[in-house]
Amino acid sequence: MRRPMRILQALLIDLLLHGYILGSVAWLLQHWELLSVPVALVPLSAVMLTAVAWLAGDSPGRHFLLGAVAGRWYRRWWGICLMLALALTMLVGWLVVRVRPVKFVMQFANAKHIVISLLSPNWKLLLPLLGKLAETIYLALLATVFAIPFAFGLSFFAARNIMPHNLPGNSVYVAVRTVATIGRSIEAIVWAIIFSVWVGIGPFAGMLALMVHSVAALTKLYSEQIENIDPGPVEAIRATGAGWLQVWFYGVVPQIFAPYLAFTIYRWDINVRMATIVGFVGGGGIGLALQQQQQMLAWRNVGMIMWLIAFTIWLMDMISGKMRARLLEIDS
Amino acid sequence: MPQPLSITGLHKTYANGTNALRGVDLEVSPGEFVVLVGLSGSGKSTLLRCVNRLVEPSEGRILFEGEDVCAAGSAGLRNIRRRIGMIFQQFNLLRNLSVLTNVLSGRLGYLGLGASLAPWRNQDLVEEAHVSLSRVGLKHLADQKVRNLSGGQQQRVAIARTLMQRPHLILADEPVASLDPATADSVMRHLGDLNRDEGITVLCSLHFLSLARKYGSRVIALKDGRIVFDGLPADIDDTRFRAIYGDDAEEVEIR
Repeated sequence: MRRPMRILQALLIDLLLHGYILGSVAWLLQHWELLSVPVALVPLSAVMLTAVAWLAGDSPGRHFLLGAVAGRWYRRWWGICLMLALALTMLVGWLVVRVRPVKFVMQFANAKHIVISLLSPNWKLLLPLLGKLAETIYLALLATVFAIPFAFGLSFFAARNIMPHNLPGNSVYVAVRTVATIGRSIEAIVWAIIFSVWVGIGPFAGMLALMVHSVAALTKLYSEQIENIDPGPVEAIRATGAGWLQVWFYGVVPQIFAPYLAFTIYRWDINVRMATIVGFVGGGGIGLALQQQQQMLAWRNVGMIMWLIAFTIWLMDMISGKMRARLLEIDS
Repeated sequence: MPQPLSITGLHKTYANGTNALRGVDLEVSPGEFVVLVGLSGSGKSTLLRCVNRLVEPSEGRILFEGEDVCAAGSAGLRNIRRRIGMIFQQFNLLRNLSVLTNVLSGRLGYLGLGASLAPWRNQDLVEEAHVSLSRVGLKHLADQKVRNLSGGQQQRVAIARTLMQRPHLILADEPVASLDPATADSVMRHLGDLNRDEGITVLCSLHFLSLARKYGSRVIALKDGRIVFDGLPADIDDTRFRAIYGDDAEEVEIR
């Protein structure tokens, strides 16, 4: 990197760090009602402090980006600065989160009733709940299966080594990647809220929410598999005079088949977990039942649901882990 | 018999500016076993890959059995490629598929899209694949997955795959460089047999002159993208050897 750029970066780091320290101190003074500091004073004094530090030739930005400052760190401003920032962060954090260890220890009695109820679940609910559980597992399965063809198709457009290196190729690649990233960064719970309004509360809304999320996630995982394939066999099949569809079918597909399957099973596993949460906001299945029982404060029923979910997730985790291990064994 | 290969004025400059080939002229007669030698980076791989256009030549003319390879359209190129077998250093087989399927894939250039989806349903083709495997002594491994095979066995499967193309010319890019000396010799012997018994012309790059002397009927040496020696294997003496590999080089014998 060029030196002017580095100087600018170092300056920016120092300004932010000094501003953060001064801001934290001002917030503490205000919080303890010792002194009310005008807001404009913080950036102003940060600029001044940075200027002084730079004249003295000792600041965190200078130390890390423009060559180390000589001397022991705890005697230099850059070291003190970092320690100060760390200490202030912990202190302010403690106050902001309003941590009260005494409450945690002394007020257990408030929740005693709930914890005991959760530990003595209402077994009478087991059979009716199995139906709800089936709903959850099925909706997770369908969301996964329906996501496969979309993700499969999209993954080839999101694979760097398959897309041509020209303007249309790059544009499609970037567009597909961006959409997949956005789709993943919007939580399934948000999709569930949208779809429960769209198609009404119930498992179908949950399925759609998980499906959208799965398409985005699988597109990324699949395309990374395509980018990791060995180009050798592809070259060999081309050399036999095969057409591009044959090259794709014989050179690419056998290399991605097992990892695709492994990722899909893993996704189903994740979808079952997410289905319970998605159910909470209207996505149907056992999650919805959990939300209803919780609002009625029927803690023994909630306990039953909780154990059922825990058991299912443990089971899914074990089965999918075994299946994936077997697939990777095949692939190695 | 048409002349298998005629190359004139072949140049290749890669996108990153590397000048891999700087004017190669080469005439290959039917039935020859031509060995390419030269240091890594001398252009051997590029020359071989230009012949079937896995690498696109920058300049020059390549005639395969009288057909202009560079001018061929996509259908024409496929037609040329299917008559040219290719063997790779890393074998380049589909490790997750069976030996038989890998061998059958050698025939793809001759098959329509429908037939290529399930070539194992074509009895004649499967029969021929078994014959190809017998030629390299691996008939008993037809149903094994390739990843369970040793390196030497994999390279023999690759030869069997090439046979399915009924090739007139075989390009071999360092076919034994990742094998131990004994296995290397057995793989080379299979190539030598095909050359002698079937009259298939072979163009093969090698690292060891001992193998070149044993199997080659002609040796071409490349240095910095140019041909610096073209003659009989026996004619490479110490002076010529240094001209190819540099002044500090000394020949190591493997047998």
